Amino acid sequence: MGVNPYSAMHSGPGRGLAAVYGIFALAASARAGVQIIRDFSEAPLAYSLSGVAAAVYILATVCLVVGNRVTHRIALLSCVFEFAGVVVVGTLSLMLPDVFRVHSVWSLYGIDYGFFPLILPVIGLLWLRHVERRIRQAA
Amino acid sequence: MLRVIPFLTVVLFAASGLLFLWGLVQAIRNRPAGKPILIYTGVLEVLLLIQLIVSAVLFPTHPGTDGVLFFGYLLTAIVMIPLAWFWAFAELSRWGPAVLAAAGITVVVMIERMVQLWV
Repeated sequence: MGVNPYSAMHSGPGRGLAAVYGIFALAASARAGVQIIRDFSEAPLAYSLSGVAAAVYILATVCLVVGNRVTHRIALLSCVFEFAGVVVVGTLSLMLPDVFRVHSVWSLYGIDYGFFPLILPVIGLLWLRHVERRIRQAA
Repeated sequence: MLRVIPFLTVVLFAASGLLFLWGLVQAIRNRPAGKPILIYTGVLEVLLLIQLIVSAVLFPTHPGTDGVLFFGYLLTAIVMIPLAWFWAFAELSRWGPAVLAAAGITVVVMIERMVQLWV
């Protein structure tokens, strides 16, 4: 049939994962948009970080939805970036509370979002690895 | 929002909470998103649109409300529900209703934020 095996990225559990990523892309973009347009000068660092988080969530969502070999690789990278981002920003916000007075999406390991920003990239990486293995086995 | 239009607020909480529970139950029962839940999701969208009209009319009489944030939340919910609908519609497994459950619980949180913002 010539079906693209990477479309498995967004079916079954991947459908749920892509949906949650989409919700985060929307939520983070809305938050970052309001913060950056309205009161950027208040906390440029925190708000820039919110913007970066939003951009990565959009990238990951698009990659999952498109679902091919290239976007599989990009999705892996964005999950790694997200995980590193939430750990670094989360730790910095604990150590330098003055700099991170204003919350961004990844502050305190994503506490404002029920720690989902910390969990999501891990689930994403496990899922992408699972898809990759299944494709290799089928080949 | 709670004082002005408490009825609509309660209805919205109940409707989005029900979408979460219904989607969750269907996902656990290993059922795809059937016609009833898809139609119901449309009803929730209509309720959100009614909320948009009502709050747009009442907004000028509530100067303490942060309009950008309030309508930001409301419009995000209004955009999210149809996207979730299409995403669930295209899935023939239990993950279809799981998508609707995720959207439902997100709307519950957003309405809670809107209640806090409406002064």
